[in-house]
Amino acid sequence: MKNKRRALNLLEIAMIIIAFVFLYPILLVLINSLKSFQEVMMDVIALPKALAFENYSYVWQYINYPRLFLNNVVITGLGLAGIVFFSAIAAYKLSRTRSRISTVIYFLCIMPMLIPFQSIMVTLLKLAKMLHLSDSIWGLGIQYWGFGAPLAVFIYHGFIKGIPREIDESAMMDGASSFRTFFSVIFPLLKPVTATIVIIQGMWIWNDFLLPLLMVNGSTETKTLTLAAYTFVGQYNTDWQYTMTALMMAVLPSIILFIFMQKHIVKGVTAGAVKG
Amino acid sequence: MNKLFGRNKLSRIEFGLFTLPVLLCVAFAFYVPFFMSMMYSLTEWNGIAKSPTFIGLDNFRQIFSGDANFTAASLFTVKYSFLYIILINVFAILIAVILDQKLKSASFLRAAFFIPYILSLVVVGFIWKFIFMQGFNSFSELTGWGIFELSWLGDPKLAFYSVLIVSVWQSIGFYIVIYIAGLQSVPQEMLEAATVDGAGPFKRFFNVTLPLLAPAITISLFLSLTNAIKIFDVILSLTGGGPGGTTYSVAYDIYRDTFQNNLYGYGTAKALLLFLVVLVITIVQLTYFKRREVEN
Repeated sequence: MKNKRRALNLLEIAMIIIAFVFLYPILLVLINSLKSFQEVMMDVIALPKALAFENYSYVWQYINYPRLFLNNVVITGLGLAGIVFFSAIAAYKLSRTRSRISTVIYFLCIMPMLIPFQSIMVTLLKLAKMLHLSDSIWGLGIQYWGFGAPLAVFIYHGFIKGIPREIDESAMMDGASSFRTFFSVIFPLLKPVTATIVIIQGMWIWNDFLLPLLMVNGSTETKTLTLAAYTFVGQYNTDWQYTMTALMMAVLPSIILFIFMQKHIVKGVTAGAVKG
Repeated sequence: MNKLFGRNKLSRIEFGLFTLPVLLCVAFAFYVPFFMSMMYSLTEWNGIAKSPTFIGLDNFRQIFSGDANFTAASLFTVKYSFLYIILINVFAILIAVILDQKLKSASFLRAAFFIPYILSLVVVGFIWKFIFMQGFNSFSELTGWGIFELSWLGDPKLAFYSVLIVSVWQSIGFYIVIYIAGLQSVPQEMLEAATVDGAGPFKRFFNVTLPLLAPAITISLFLSLTNAIKIFDVILSLTGGGPGGTTYSVAYDIYRDTFQNNLYGYGTAKALLLFLVVLVITIVQLTYFKRREVEN
């Protein structure tokens, strides 16, 4: 027993060292984002002699960070709101209606999960231009409604099937309309799956690259954090101290959010994977 | 009767109101562009000319009669997917089993391995470009190890493994979490019973844990396969397809043809082939799932 305890302790120490090495690349980026150019060139590993916060203020102004951050919030927020609302009401009606048309619509909703983005990107851009949805963060947010819907409908549909019909029937008896029943009775019951959907799709939209590159890369006003980091690194490719700062600023919001919501995020992602 | 009809009509309108919005969104995002793509794949178009020229199946004929770029990219993607799926699942199971040993720091460790997964792939590529280029310089000065002196992004063979390592690093936390969830559903009594029967830790793992982990393994294999086939962002920022165009994946090759070489029709034709491959893999996978479910 004692031996086993000691072996476990050794294993634990080994794993902590491995985890540290695993995260070391991110740590190095953080360290070097706080150094001057000469210090980065001399030795990447060494800690900064003095914290060069001016890197951050320089990049902050150069890429107009608050604007980018707001863009990301608008795109992700608008996208998620539409995905949750439209997918939830559709999945509710589809799982409560037993008819051929309902099955057909359900499959039409979830089949696009099979379509790789590359096979639609050119024509999508053309279509978005026609509908005036390109070059605008609102337009981009709206586009995510369709892209997020297949997975959301799929997860909601599976979950609503497990909610007994008697619940909505008794609400209907009391004279509530379908909409009322859904919003005051069913939607609150969907909270755990809604959380899962918000987490998975929120992470995806926040970090997405190719769709924003096609849709909103034209102007600095409409860029997202990831796009700005991409352009910035392209322009400053040898000014490592600035590129490290830009990368750090792009990922810090996600890391901070993760630290505070770790349990929920891990749980949501697992639930989504197991159901999806 | 009349009343019933009225109610029916009402419920039909309601059905439409609830489901039409999502159908419109999905149609706009997928179906309309997809059918437009099918048409474009039969044309030659550079994106500048006013209208595409119809050329029938010539694009597909050209792809199959020998497109060196596409062949190389396909080989890259197959080799990459194969190694990625093996590495990620083996390491994820290994780490998940260790973290499941009731370590005091288990939840901290799980979070540590998960962090790269929440980062944008493009940024991950840049982080590692910095590590491979600048970081390894300093490491080799510090340790004198030859491994840090190799040109990890400049040598075609090594660049392949760099892409592989970075992708595994980015996503392994996700698979660890799936396997931990799977391990928690392995009944403790069965493991204890095996111990009583005199099974050592390895025998216990291979004869009890691994078979019970089958559902988690199926999910992870499927997800890692679908993700591997579509690899794009990491390569774009890490190697840019280099050195000498050796790290182009299929998705990146399509991107190059459409947006860098302005071959809209030709790139779209390739993309439709990618769709067919994904479709076939999914159908095989689903049939396999169905059969398993029936057997259980």
